[in-house]
Amino acid sequence: MELRLIQRLVRMMQKGELTELELDDQKEGVRLRLKRGGDAPPTPVVHVTQGAAAAPVALPVAAAEPATEAAPELAGTPYTSPMVGTFYSAPAPDADPFVRPGTRIEPDTVLCIIEAMKVMNEIKAETSGEIVEVLVENGEPVEFGQPLFLIK
Amino acid sequence: MFRRVLIANRGEIAQRVIRACRELGIETVAVYSQADAGALYLRQADETICIGAPAGDRSYLHIPSIISAAEISDVEAIHPGYGFLAENFHFAEVCNSCNIHFIGPDPETIEALGHKANARAMAVAAGVPVVPGSDGAVEDETQAMDVAHELGYPVMIKAAAGGGGRGMRIARNDPSLVSGFHAARAEAKAAFGDETVYLEKFVENPRHVEFQILGDMQGNVVHLFERDCSVQRRHQKLIEESPSPHLTPEKRAEMGAAAVRMAKAAKYHNAGTVEFLVDSRGDFYFIEVNARIQVEHTVTEMVTGVDLIQQQLRLASGEPLSFTQEDLTQTGHAIECRINAEDPDRDFQPSPGLIDLFVPPGGPGVRVDSHGYSGYRIPPNYDSMIGKLLAHRSDREQAIRTMIRALDEFVVEGPKTTIPLLRKVMTHPDFRTSSHDTGFVERYFGARPATAPAREAK
Repeated sequence: MELRLIQRLVRMMQKGELTELELDDQKEGVRLRLKRGGDAPPTPVVHVTQGAAAAPVALPVAAAEPATEAAPELAGTPYTSPMVGTFYSAPAPDADPFVRPGTRIEPDTVLCIIEAMKVMNEIKAETSGEIVEVLVENGEPVEFGQPLFLIK
Repeated sequence: MFRRVLIANRGEIAQRVIRACRELGIETVAVYSQADAGALYLRQADETICIGAPAGDRSYLHIPSIISAAEISDVEAIHPGYGFLAENFHFAEVCNSCNIHFIGPDPETIEALGHKANARAMAVAAGVPVVPGSDGAVEDETQAMDVAHELGYPVMIKAAAGGGGRGMRIARNDPSLVSGFHAARAEAKAAFGDETVYLEKFVENPRHVEFQILGDMQGNVVHLFERDCSVQRRHQKLIEESPSPHLTPEKRAEMGAAAVRMAKAAKYHNAGTVEFLVDSRGDFYFIEVNARIQVEHTVTEMVTGVDLIQQQLRLASGEPLSFTQEDLTQTGHAIECRINAEDPDRDFQPSPGLIDLFVPPGGPGVRVDSHGYSGYRIPPNYDSMIGKLLAHRSDREQAIRTMIRALDEFVVEGPKTTIPLLRKVMTHPDFRTSSHDTGFVERYFGARPATAPAREAK
């Protein structure tokens, strides 16, 4: 790996307060895995301020054991793509996205559109909760089973 | 030539198409179901896309998912392999309407040949001999009886939309004709949504001989000689060979010419197979055209030296055939054994699961096409074939010796396989002297006889 690239990654990690970064470049397949907050608990704080309803349960767990194992729990449940196609986060190019991190969702909330065979398929949440993260960029191709959102 | 091709299939044939593409400098996109995630052959593709759940109708048979994958990966053509969507004319139509080349014949050709009564009528018009039978559908018992008496028993009742032995019954007298007629109609209705049946004279102890054809979009058609597929078990081919030990040069030329006539009548382009039955007198009858590449295409590749998958890609991109009938010859003798993960002690039930150790044979005259490897888990969702073993030698006897040696070398630990059965066939006097017919395996190896005669083997 090039020294310049390593330096850039280190700077990026400092900026993003990362303690661990795993890069798996299988001939530009590029898979990144980030880990935030090793001993210091900066992320659990975010969790408390956002998750008003869920906070009573999440708070003691996060405060009591802020170990690295806490990271996946904080992330939420992945919502996977029900089909292969092109992901659109908004109903039109200039419109607001259907959901953002923090958006409350109900089972019939439209999360995104996946275009398959020129058909725009509205993808509904089919569960209640809150969007933690949108994992896919607008206009990106997605495959069946690929995580699109993190929901808690 | 295409720049980028999607392979709408899995396993052995997906790997075979990837190999051909790589040799031609074509980029490949492999689609896969969740059951095939992680399989090693997928690593040979330039891009892989998961298209759905393990069940075939939710992945490899799901047209919207495959077309959507083709669109997001920006391919120019789709190779359907065999099985799944290979002979689905609707899929070929959808490809065309999305400006994606379907690697195979036109949808109209696939549809016309897929309807058996229709294909039969085309054969008659093209002067290709057919098994004597009813001209078109048989509507009721009385008509069935009249036709059966005219043909003479035994007769076969077949579904017009049929295949794979479903909707087929043999009748040897009037009562079995009546019950068989209704049973075949009900089965055809359930299996194909079409209860149309027709009657044919039943050819006893036939041999199954098929001709490989290649056609270009300019209207040229050649045949690449025959494959003898008479070793079958319940309509499933187990062993194929070329040349057929039973054809004289004259008969070969006659049948080859008939296959080419049939292909031209169907306006066929790309690779296909014209199947015939050959009776004990050497008379041959057209059965059907398989509008796809077949599992056993490899046998033809060995004796002709022509890479059929590369030819498919060239022909689908519009290139004319680069050789004529006179340029083609059969060299030596090739035999193929299908290695299936099946348990002979449990009536050949599929035996999926983990392959602990997989060591394919090698050495002179041996070819192995397999997606198997040590640590591969055979998914229970698809067919049980895990590979094909070929021996190519200067004559039949030497090819058999090489095949026995290669079967002995082949190590597959974990699942049960057909390797022991194949070895028994190779050493059986009837196979050695080539006096076997399509009933051979059931007769000698204790497998339960088929409910319908071994004819429409896939």
